[in-house]
Amino acid sequence: MLALITRRLMTAIPTLLVIILASFFLMRLAPGGPFDGERPLDPATQAALQQAYGLDRPLWEQAWLYVSRLVQGDFGPSLVYRDFTVSELIAQGLPISLTLGGLAIVLALMIGVTAGLFAAVRAGQAADKTIMMLATIATALPTFVTGPALALFFGLWLGLLPVSGTGEGGAWLIMPVVALALPVSGAIAKLTRAGLASVLKQDHIRTARARGLSETKILFKHGLRPALVPVASYLGPAAAGLLTGAVVVETVFGLPGLGRYFVQGALNRDYPLVLGVVTLFAALIILFNLFADLIYGWLDPRMREG
Amino acid sequence: MSLYEIRNLAVDIDGKRLVENVSLTVEPGQCTALIGASGSGKSLTCLSPFGLTPGVVSGSMILDGIDLAGADARHLRDVRRRLTGFIFQQPLTALTPHLTVGAQLQEATMQAGTARPSRRELARKLERVGLSRADERLDQFPHRLSGGERQRVMIAAAIAHSPKLLIADEPTSALDASLRAEIVALLDELRAEQGLGMLLVSHDLASVEGHADQLVVMDKGRVVEIGSAGALIANPAEDYTRHLIAATPRLDEPSPKLGEPRDLLLETIDVGVEFQRPGWRRGKIRAVVDASIILRQSESLALVGGSGSGKSTLGRAIAGIGPVTEGEILWQGAPLPERRKRSLDMRRLIQPVFQDPVASLDPQWQVIDIVTEPLRNLRPDLMKAECREMAQQALSAVDLAEDFLTRLPASLSGGQAQRVAIARAIISSPQLLVLDEATSALDPLIGAEILELLLRLQVENGLSLLFITHDIAAARRLCHRIAVMEEGRIVETGDMQAVIDDPRHPATQKLIAAS
Amino acid sequence: MLKRHFPLVLVLAIVALALLLPFLLPWNYDQIDWDAVRAPAFSGSHFFGTDEIGRDRLARLAAGTRITLMVAMAAALVSLIVGIAWGATAGWIGGRVDEAMMRVVDGLYALPFMFIVILLMVVFGRSILLVFVGIGLVEWLTMARVVRGQVMALKQRPFILAAEAAGTPSIAIILRHILPNIAGVALAYLMLTVPQVVMVESFLSFLGLGVQEPLTSLGILVKEGADDMDMVPLGLALPGGLLVVILVCLTIEGERLRDRFS
Repeated sequence: MLALITRRLMTAIPTLLVIILASFFLMRLAPGGPFDGERPLDPATQAALQQAYGLDRPLWEQAWLYVSRLVQGDFGPSLVYRDFTVSELIAQGLPISLTLGGLAIVLALMIGVTAGLFAAVRAGQAADKTIMMLATIATALPTFVTGPALALFFGLWLGLLPVSGTGEGGAWLIMPVVALALPVSGAIAKLTRAGLASVLKQDHIRTARARGLSETKILFKHGLRPALVPVASYLGPAAAGLLTGAVVVETVFGLPGLGRYFVQGALNRDYPLVLGVVTLFAALIILFNLFADLIYGWLDPRMREG
Repeated sequence: MSLYEIRNLAVDIDGKRLVENVSLTVEPGQCTALIGASGSGKSLTCLSPFGLTPGVVSGSMILDGIDLAGADARHLRDVRRRLTGFIFQQPLTALTPHLTVGAQLQEATMQAGTARPSRRELARKLERVGLSRADERLDQFPHRLSGGERQRVMIAAAIAHSPKLLIADEPTSALDASLRAEIVALLDELRAEQGLGMLLVSHDLASVEGHADQLVVMDKGRVVEIGSAGALIANPAEDYTRHLIAATPRLDEPSPKLGEPRDLLLETIDVGVEFQRPGWRRGKIRAVVDASIILRQSESLALVGGSGSGKSTLGRAIAGIGPVTEGEILWQGAPLPERRKRSLDMRRLIQPVFQDPVASLDPQWQVIDIVTEPLRNLRPDLMKAECREMAQQALSAVDLAEDFLTRLPASLSGGQAQRVAIARAIISSPQLLVLDEATSALDPLIGAEILELLLRLQVENGLSLLFITHDIAAARRLCHRIAVMEEGRIVETGDMQAVIDDPRHPATQKLIAAS
Repeated sequence: MLKRHFPLVLVLAIVALALLLPFLLPWNYDQIDWDAVRAPAFSGSHFFGTDEIGRDRLARLAAGTRITLMVAMAAALVSLIVGIAWGATAGWIGGRVDEAMMRVVDGLYALPFMFIVILLMVVFGRSILLVFVGIGLVEWLTMARVVRGQVMALKQRPFILAAEAAGTPSIAIILRHILPNIAGVALAYLMLTVPQVVMVESFLSFLGLGVQEPLTSLGILVKEGADDMDMVPLGLALPGGLLVVILVCLTIEGERLRDRFS
């Protein structure tokens, strides 16, 4: 197990480094950015940039400077939100995005695994086919369609839930989280059902049946864990998908999360902000993948040796 | 009263009747063996009365006084819990991968309602079935154990709750040849010890001979013949049984008439094959070490050993489809280069035939293209019409009609596919065929036919054969000489009959005992 | 056949409509009808009404569909070619090369590719070519993995060894034995890639980073509809609904194909 973790970290750190460096160089060399002197900048920003990036030093030294600052949590100043550093913006936005994402994945797992199990146990029957059709439709529902649709229906027409901003209590979370969770729950439902349906055909289930165990016991003790393996493998890409979806959901519902800062930054060419967010997201996803691997190892002992 | 008696059993699946009018009995402490080819309905007969197949049963089935006919799922589950133990064919997949051996054995022990066993008791059960370091094993996961070890765990689990009837569906078919005798002997011991009745299914008559009391021969869902084992084998009443017995190779049948070997053809000198360990692990695996054999024209050499002995690796090295890391291979005195450096002329000389006939044919190609592939490369001078004619000749040499030329592999039976593979191998008139377990995956009747075909080709065309197998009795029908391999080394060689009469090495002795 | 493949038929019908409508409608997708702004459905020559600037909704729907699907096909093809090339090479050569190549894939798989594409778009401008290539690059990883798995499995099958023994050179083996046997799976995944790509393109367009004015796409139409949804919900429902229908149909067909070839 330890070997697996170490190995994953060893692949993760270079990947992260590559992303950071690639982003840095892209930023420095990109046309139309703040660095080619196309747009005149006011002296305050100019001075801040000079100090932050050491613009008069050789390129590789600048890269080193950037990375070392990054490791200490200093992402540099924001070009657009002049009063804030990127770190401060991230500190504001991260909790919101994490809450959204975290709740969404929990909801998606709860709905998806339950629906998948239900369908698998009734494989071939009407319930199975209906659930799987619903799941397929769910995976094809882009968040930027369901988000506005939900806002329209529950927000504007029925007036039940707030349409934008974070309000009192948790009501503001409901629609964004549902919109985020829907496609992921559909995918999880399909994976769970497929996983369980294939596990139930395997030999060790026949052995358990031959022992006269009850179907419930067979399902939960012998069948569930291998069936969830495809779901565990999916958690990594699911996290990436959720972060992407969070961008949309925050834009649609006007939530001040990282996703929205990212989009604003992208549209306004606020490079330090964009880079900071990309780096952070990449790190989060890598961490999450590691977590998913640990779960995988628990589900399937053969993976523990790596 | 018999322990288990079925009368006029019929099993239907999806409206098709797959088993009809089967009657048999199992006495306590005795073994009834069901013999037949695949598809004969033997597994269905054993498993359906207990609700383990999707089949719908009718007829009378009485176990220990309990009537199974018309029993609902709960009732059958109850019977399975208390009275029966099952062993299946594939030990590698029969155990739950995420539970330890100890946990599963404990579950099996407690299934009939007994109290939780102590660790010592569980370890003792494992020791009884021949597992070493039993205490360690209890905490291990199944993937740590070999196939043979897992089957022993299965056996321990199947009898842990003291059932009355043990049902074993091909328990040794997937195991290494040398292990088979041990497992079957273990089952005999346990049977005697616990007074178990045993219902054993097998497609291989040889493996049940001497262990079964009653023999039931099945074909196409019906019972062909039934009687006490010894009497049936000595004096089969039905034709089918006679054919089956004749098809099963035995060590004590008369010697075959083989062709006359001539000049030296192939010689390997201290050949070794090494592989890198897969993945992250360091070090190399030495699959073949210091292998030296000779083969003459028109001679057949049997390369025999258990799984992992290196026989396939050596065969592939010789055939030029596997690596050679050390040593030399000589062909009529001149060195034969290794795989990537072989010229087309050299490829003509040696052709392979593989174990899985359907997998050795490209599923998207027609038979005619499959069979003429060697010609396209090795005889580019031939025209299409000539190639087609040679394909027809090759097919008729393996007893296949001309209309097979346009068929696709998916529509061929195992025996037909293997004939196509042999036709492809002989079409360019090679001098040596390397046959890698070419009959092991076939039903005994079909396998016997293929062996006959190979014998005919050897005698009529003067072909040399390198026959790789784990079945010495089968090899005896075809080969002049034998080389036994264990762990990559050749441990014994000699004339076939001489080695069988007087095996020196323990590996050879184990293989002979398994036949 | 029609009934079983209903989803595919539906998509083809939509495509046919999208292609034919420009010849049947009196309005172009970017033509402004000054007399009818935010006209409701069925008003005069505007079947679905007009948007907030006065452009015919149906024409825009057809145009958006055309563009979206065109981008999707092109990008899916990019991902197919790159994926097959990468996967087949890794699978065929095997050993260390395969390990290295697949580790790259594994590393990239976990990344929020979307962000990187957005980054590239921001940096290099918003050209339609970049949209094609960028989106294609997002999806090739799955294809590479699937193809590599298939090729590795095939490489072990005896009929490949038999071909080698018969003297067939490696190139011929790849072209005549391997490729025909992975064609089915590749096609299935191609079908599944298209909806993914449609999602990505729509997503980018929604954010303003994908297809640019004066062109339109389903993603842009959804964005416009969402902005205006309190006034005219039809503006959201039409492109959104159409998008979902296309995605669902393609996914169903793709999965059916995939199950057939697994």
